[in-house]
Amino acid sequence: MRAFFEKRENLLLFLAARTRDMATAEDLVQDLYLKISALDRDADVRAPAALLYRMASNLLVDHVRSAQRGARRDAAWRREAVGGDGTHEPVSGAAAEEAVIARERIRQLAAAVADLPPQMQRAFRLHKLEGRSQAETAQAMGVSVKMIEQHIQAAIRHLAQRLRT
Amino acid sequence: MLSIVADEEGTMAQASAWLARLQRDDLTEADGLEFEAWLEADPTHRAAYRDALAAWQAFDTCADDVLEELAAQERRGARRPAPSRRWLVSAGGFAAAAALALALLPPMLTSSAAQTYATGKGEHERITLADGSVVDLNAETRLTVSYERSARRVVLEDGEAIFDVAHDAKRPFTVAASQRVVRVLGTQFDVRNRQGELTVTVARGKVQVEPADAAATDRAFVLRPGQRLAIAQTGRAQLQSVDPQETFGWRVGRLVYRGEPLENVVADLNRQFVDQIEIADPELGRMPITGVIVVDDQDAVVQRLSLMLPIRSVPSERGLLLLRK
Repeated sequence: MRAFFEKRENLLLFLAARTRDMATAEDLVQDLYLKISALDRDADVRAPAALLYRMASNLLVDHVRSAQRGARRDAAWRREAVGGDGTHEPVSGAAAEEAVIARERIRQLAAAVADLPPQMQRAFRLHKLEGRSQAETAQAMGVSVKMIEQHIQAAIRHLAQRLRT
Repeated sequence: MLSIVADEEGTMAQASAWLARLQRDDLTEADGLEFEAWLEADPTHRAAYRDALAAWQAFDTCADDVLEELAAQERRGARRPAPSRRWLVSAGGFAAAAALALALLPPMLTSSAAQTYATGKGEHERITLADGSVVDLNAETRLTVSYERSARRVVLEDGEAIFDVAHDAKRPFTVAASQRVVRVLGTQFDVRNRQGELTVTVARGKVQVEPADAAATDRAFVLRPGQRLAIAQTGRAQLQSVDPQETFGWRVGRLVYRGEPLENVVADLNRQFVDQIEIADPELGRMPITGVIVVDDQDAVVQRLSLMLPIRSVPSERGLLLLRK
């Protein structure tokens, strides 16, 4: 338990690698905490850090799976609620302004992706935007999984630099 | 000042590498423990990682919208020239990584059934041709194949490939590269056409290399198994005996060198990895390397290089900079 509190921030950053935002990562850290409190107090844990990360990895696997299901459901719901063409009229002035800002942000993100070199961009689109696993992305592109990880790494570096300013 | 920038970039590169690694399909506790060790190693690591994370998560809530916007931009930009010049300026050499995916380009107008194959950085591709001949393409290679009734013609525009040719005496198989034609019967051989230098290495069978222009006065060479012909840009030709399997090693990720200048070795490696290696001074680039380099992980490769030569590496804007130790 002490190990958990000492490593809380590290665990948060570890989990956040696969969640949509920091708040979701916080939720997962909370789940992890509950799971750990449920463990037998007297159990002799020889490597608490390893156990924590093992549990965190398992939690992530479950989370990624259910998040994908959720996203698909959301998308289906949105299509139905909004109508086939995906457009809808904002109701109030504030909502309209918000929509304009969101629009601008999406244009920025898309422009940053469009500026990546072609192979790197393709890897990023398949893996990050279309949500394929690294192995699936590697297969689709006919390169090794190692290569996909390299492309993703380089893409993150470029995007972080570009979006920081 | 410069060293601080380099450090910051190095840290950012590490943070990106970690975030990419944490996307692995088979994430384990070992990844977690090593990640934690890296986080704790230096206070700047945490901040760099959070920066990388912010950019990464920015796409999460709107991945579909970004995809739609990209598709819309592509529809609008079909007329747009080369993909954004801004990129060239901001990232310098990274534009070199703008690699071609294996592409099937539309056939050329002059030929009935020419097909072009191209590989990008780090890509190897095996293609099987209509007659059962097999061609292995090394990274950053582009070749065109056209089969006619009485001829099988390949043009190796740039790069390196190993040909394993099905025997067919009625339809000679030729590879045109760098103003030479390689003529073969059933055989296996490697042709490399990079930066104006052509090398042909034969493992099996017999190969003839002659000037593409019939009127040229350059002589023709006949190569037998275990022979390699190298023709420099100046036209100077050198014939030597080699172990063909060393030349063919790239197909299985093994590069074998005998007294090869470091700059040539680095040029080979830079075709295999996204992050580009640069050499600090030209004199260092001329130092000869003899040995086998297994191409798997770039860090490991650089590590092995530093065991062969008195060099060390530091992160740079494009990837890595090699310095004298």
